[in-house]
Amino acid sequence: MSLRLGAMLPEVFRHLFKRPATVLYPFERNTVPRGLRGRPVMDPDKCIGCRMCERDCPAEAIEIKQESEATMPDGKVKKRYSMTLYLDRCAHCAQCEEICPAKPDKAVKLNEYFEEAAFDRGALKIVYK
Amino acid sequence: MSETFVLPVGPQHPALKEPTSFRFKVDGEYIIDADLRLGYNHRGMEKGCEARTYVQDIYLLERVCGICSNAHMTCFAQGVERLMGIEPPPRGLFIRCLMGELERIHSHLLWLGVAGHEIGFDTFFMYTWRDREVVMDLLEMVSGNRVNYGMQTFGGVRRDLDGTQIKTLLEGIAALKARTPYYLNLGATEPTMVARIKGVGLLPKQKAIELNTAGPTARASGVDFDVRKDDPYAGFGDLIPFTIVTDDGCDVLARVVVRAKEMMASYDIMEFILKNLPAGEIRTKAPRRVPEGETVSRVEAQRGECIHYIRANGTDKPDRVKVRAPTLANWPATLYMLRGAFLADIPIIMAAIDPCLSCTDRMAVISDCRGNEKVWDWETLRQHGIDFHRRRGIRP
Ligand code: SF4
Ligand code: SF4
Repeated sequence: MSLRLGAMLPEVFRHLFKRPATVLYPFERNTVPRGLRGRPVMDPDKCIGCRMCERDCPAEAIEIKQESEATMPDGKVKKRYSMTLYLDRCAHCAQCEEICPAKPDKAVKLNEYFEEAAFDRGALKIVYK
Repeated sequence: MSETFVLPVGPQHPALKEPTSFRFKVDGEYIIDADLRLGYNHRGMEKGCEARTYVQDIYLLERVCGICSNAHMTCFAQGVERLMGIEPPPRGLFIRCLMGELERIHSHLLWLGVAGHEIGFDTFFMYTWRDREVVMDLLEMVSGNRVNYGMQTFGGVRRDLDGTQIKTLLEGIAALKARTPYYLNLGATEPTMVARIKGVGLLPKQKAIELNTAGPTARASGVDFDVRKDDPYAGFGDLIPFTIVTDDGCDVLARVVVRAKEMMASYDIMEFILKNLPAGEIRTKAPRRVPEGETVSRVEAQRGECIHYIRANGTDKPDRVKVRAPTLANWPATLYMLRGAFLADIPIIMAAIDPCLSCTDRMAVISDCRGNEKVWDWETLRQHGIDFHRRRGIRP
């Protein structure tokens, strides 16, 4: 291959007429793909209190607590659980969602919300109950 | 009359974004001798693994490196799979390889840009990094995250590909495939760039072998070693064809060429994978406890051979995990390359091995000039941290 000075110039000139590659965030936003691993959200109505998510979470970001216990008319005991999520520790790995055995729908799922920055750490402690 | 003196570079220095410390013995502009001190970024991850379950460890080890995250995850997952005696289904293996190659592309494009930046060619850096966004978007689409993809697990992969994703992947790969030869040509023909990297950081083949060099650094010195060929894992070997790329230049230019050509080889691998993706399951069920035993697992990360040693004791937590990241293998060769080089070439010679320091850092015991050593245990270190902040008026 022979050496050629200014091999990059044609490319540089072409870019004078192209749109910028960057997006002016936060004024403009990129769309995120379906299935982005955002914030874990828990639905206490579906949780069976197995604590698998708490056990598996690699960041120890989940606490499951029993909130109430009620005996149903049919004699069955119904317990209700809450989840405290420390979002500042969460690594968004989705292991909690993967392991949750609740049927027919998982009790914890990740949404596609990604703008998690906060000035106050306390704002990142989320309680689902 | 020539006079030598020792020039300390680092731990904070302009060449790299991570801390490591060098001692250069210089004579004018020439480096006579080079020495290295590691340990500024030691994070205790290997020890951390022993306190966590295998499932937690896979995510912890993924974070050994932000760039090679999939390589570490794959390495650990396949080692543990071997101990468990399970084998992922073919579709899982194909997607596992696909992730590895996508990661290689993003890493090599990143490296090309960094190399351009280190020699003051920032236009090159801008273009490569813009094109890198294509592969970052593909990775995000497949895995749900731009870094730390979390795709590998014991017994296969965690997410499947659908028809639209395969189509988008093929389009993205085609676009990158059209772009890459441009960078290869530019690296090899732009006179300012060639003048800056040709003959710089020489590492002859024999030395590369003697010093146990790994990855593109070794292959750019003509050593045809690649774990994908020499110890095939996942789908490599029988299922997925693979060609090895080497170059005999032995300098930084050769390392640019090898990486650019490796990207071309990766596009072919990915196209093969996507066009021949077997149907079926993506993972098999894995037990939570791992039977007693030990194993060594290795994969070809983008920077070279990545090795994990895992010892299991029959519980759900490993007894010992040891990580050998490729940068550690390349340090002796880097010191060799730096000897006799110009001071001004330090950044590009170091950057040419694509070093990653936190991945590599070990705990180091350093003695002061009188030979005194001090070892602190966890409690002392903790107390020191608390006192340090208290003295500055910060209360925990
Ligand atoms: S996404 Fe991962 S880190 Fe976050 S809460 Fe779930 S398991 Fe824990
Ligand atoms: S794994 Fe699911 S069902 Fe079990 S405690 Fe967590 S949220 Fe509830």
